[in-house]
Amino acid sequence: MASEKTTTQPADLSAASTVAEEATTSKKTAAPLEEDDEFEDFPVDDWEPEESESQNGPHATEHLWEESWDDDDTSDDFSSQLKEELKKVESSKRR
Amino acid sequence: MATTTQFLSEVRNAIHSQDGDRLAALLRAEPPVDRIYFTMGKELQSQFQRDSKVLETLISKSIPEEDDVPEERGTAWPSFTAFLAEYLAYWRDADFEDLIQTHTRLSGLVTSCASALSHPAYGSIMLMTSIYLSRSIATLTGTLHTRPDLVSILDSRLRSTDEEEKSVVEMTAEIITKIFTTCLNDRSSTRFAPPKGKKTAVYQLANLVLKLLFMSKKTRPAQQIFTQLATLSPPLKYYPASQRVTYLYYLGRFNFVNNHFVRAAAALESSYLQTPAKFTKHRTAILTYLVPSNLLVGRLPTRALLSRPEAAHLAPIFSPLGQAIKLGSFVLLSAALAEHSDFLFSHGLLLVLNTRLRPIIWRSLARRTFQLTWTKDSGPGLMETDGPRRAATLSVADLVTTAAYQQKILEGYVPLPSAQQALSKPHPKPAGINPVYLRAVSKAAMTGELKASSTLVPPAGGRPKKLRPLEGVLNGNMAVTTEHVEMLLAGLVQMGWLRGYMALAQGKFAVSGVKAKNGDAVAAGWPGVWEVVGEKVGVAKGGGNGGGGGFGGFGGAKGGKAKGTSIEVNVPGWIVGEP
Repeated sequence: MASEKTTTQPADLSAASTVAEEATTSKKTAAPLEEDDEFEDFPVDDWEPEESESQNGPHATEHLWEESWDDDDTSDDFSSQLKEELKKVESSKRR
Repeated sequence: MATTTQFLSEVRNAIHSQDGDRLAALLRAEPPVDRIYFTMGKELQSQFQRDSKVLETLISKSIPEEDDVPEERGTAWPSFTAFLAEYLAYWRDADFEDLIQTHTRLSGLVTSCASALSHPAYGSIMLMTSIYLSRSIATLTGTLHTRPDLVSILDSRLRSTDEEEKSVVEMTAEIITKIFTTCLNDRSSTRFAPPKGKKTAVYQLANLVLKLLFMSKKTRPAQQIFTQLATLSPPLKYYPASQRVTYLYYLGRFNFVNNHFVRAAAALESSYLQTPAKFTKHRTAILTYLVPSNLLVGRLPTRALLSRPEAAHLAPIFSPLGQAIKLGSFVLLSAALAEHSDFLFSHGLLLVLNTRLRPIIWRSLARRTFQLTWTKDSGPGLMETDGPRRAATLSVADLVTTAAYQQKILEGYVPLPSAQQALSKPHPKPAGINPVYLRAVSKAAMTGELKASSTLVPPAGGRPKKLRPLEGVLNGNMAVTTEHVEMLLAGLVQMGWLRGYMALAQGKFAVSGVKAKNGDAVAAGWPGVWEVVGEKVGVAKGGGNGGGGGFGGFGGAKGGKAKGTSIEVNVPGWIVGEP
């Protein structure tokens, strides 16, 4: 079903389809996650804070998350397609 | 009876010397064990059959309950004698091939143990035994959980005796919760002091209960555990790292299940950061919920995070979702969810991501549509409040267009150029059809497309693909209309994700505060999602949350004030909720 979805997209919807294809490719190489992924007991009871990232304090999370991810570049394929569609719809209204 | 007598003598010594570790080492209940336990079982079987009263008499003779004992010396007490009788009966009737019987007997033994533990003066000596037996029954229940055939037998037995129809996993969780509550109410140490006595075990026991509850997917009773810990337990920082990390993992998952994504992210992030990199599997389990929690509050995983070994299997799942959010693409959202639907469904992520990512994608799409349609200096403005320049507005009709475009793609529409190419390609002529007629039909089709109001044309056969409710932009094949988009925009304004107001008469969303942003209408109208969500729940921007090891409260975020209120706007296909 997933492959149906990606193949029904227009060929030039590359921004969307490329990422979806990458995901498909990666899935083929990755082991399944469904099995045996419960939270197991740790082999040791305790460890020093230095062994983990928590020692870095508030800075530990800085490189983990993008908080300002808005993209101002509208030259990508997806934006181009939306732009074309907006033009087409606008011109059809004028007729 | 030599082995049994010897065993009881060892237990008496442990009781007298108040040696809880020794007692726990003696009171083994699951294989592999020394063969003396089986020898003892055979002795008991041959001499004591099924009369527990006789067993209690035997125990009372070997380990008498004494009234006046010196302070440094322990003694037996009635509930201990009853427990030990149950223990001997357990070995007398032991048959580890029969998992159902073993579970039933072990449940009885743990219940009896909980009773012995609750003795105010001598109960503490049973702490290590209680932890050991709780672990044993939790492990056995976990094994049974993988055997639906056996679980159904046990569940049907419970149903015949229990009005509430609890499952075997829930019943086991309840038994361990009794031990947990006894430990939590221990008064050997004060509320915020390092734990002593039975309180040292509260997080170990809580984690066992939580594991069982999440295993059974019935997490409601977990609230009781979290509430009790929040009000009575010593600070989490006094407990070993493995217990802290495990507890925070379940606290995060509980908040996730209850749609408190900021709290979930804070607890899971703390759990993740305290887990050393060498525990890859544990970090993968944490990231499985940490990444979605952050996606839902507008924080996307960085490439650096997704490149880590623990994220190897998760990156292909979550990376496209981040891309869908950035682009404002429902097409990519739908493809990404469909591609990994089995994994997402089995982890309880599919529905929540499908419904609650949509507001963020609508926000991105509105932003992108605004960028594509609005220019500072062209045309008449809605209101000339920002000086001679045109007022910053987004046309509802334009957003309808960009959303409807994506709906068409989801329904299988194809771009016009490819349709033209298809028509220009030589086709095998269907037998029995007049070529003149074919040429006429083709010409008519081509003319129709050139006049079309979209760059997309219906798929071959002319019928749009039938979509399931959550596969469409709004709801299945429901068309995107002006009314829908007005509602969605109004919802986003109410949530604070768009800054401005709806000018319904003009069919526009007007951006406010452009001047304050030095004329940058996009920055004024579309504040960052995390910026808004973080501010609302009191998590300081850029300050991190829960990075340290010291937060153990039910609410989660260190220093945060996660509010329980929510704004909900019902729109076909999805619900806008303040995370």
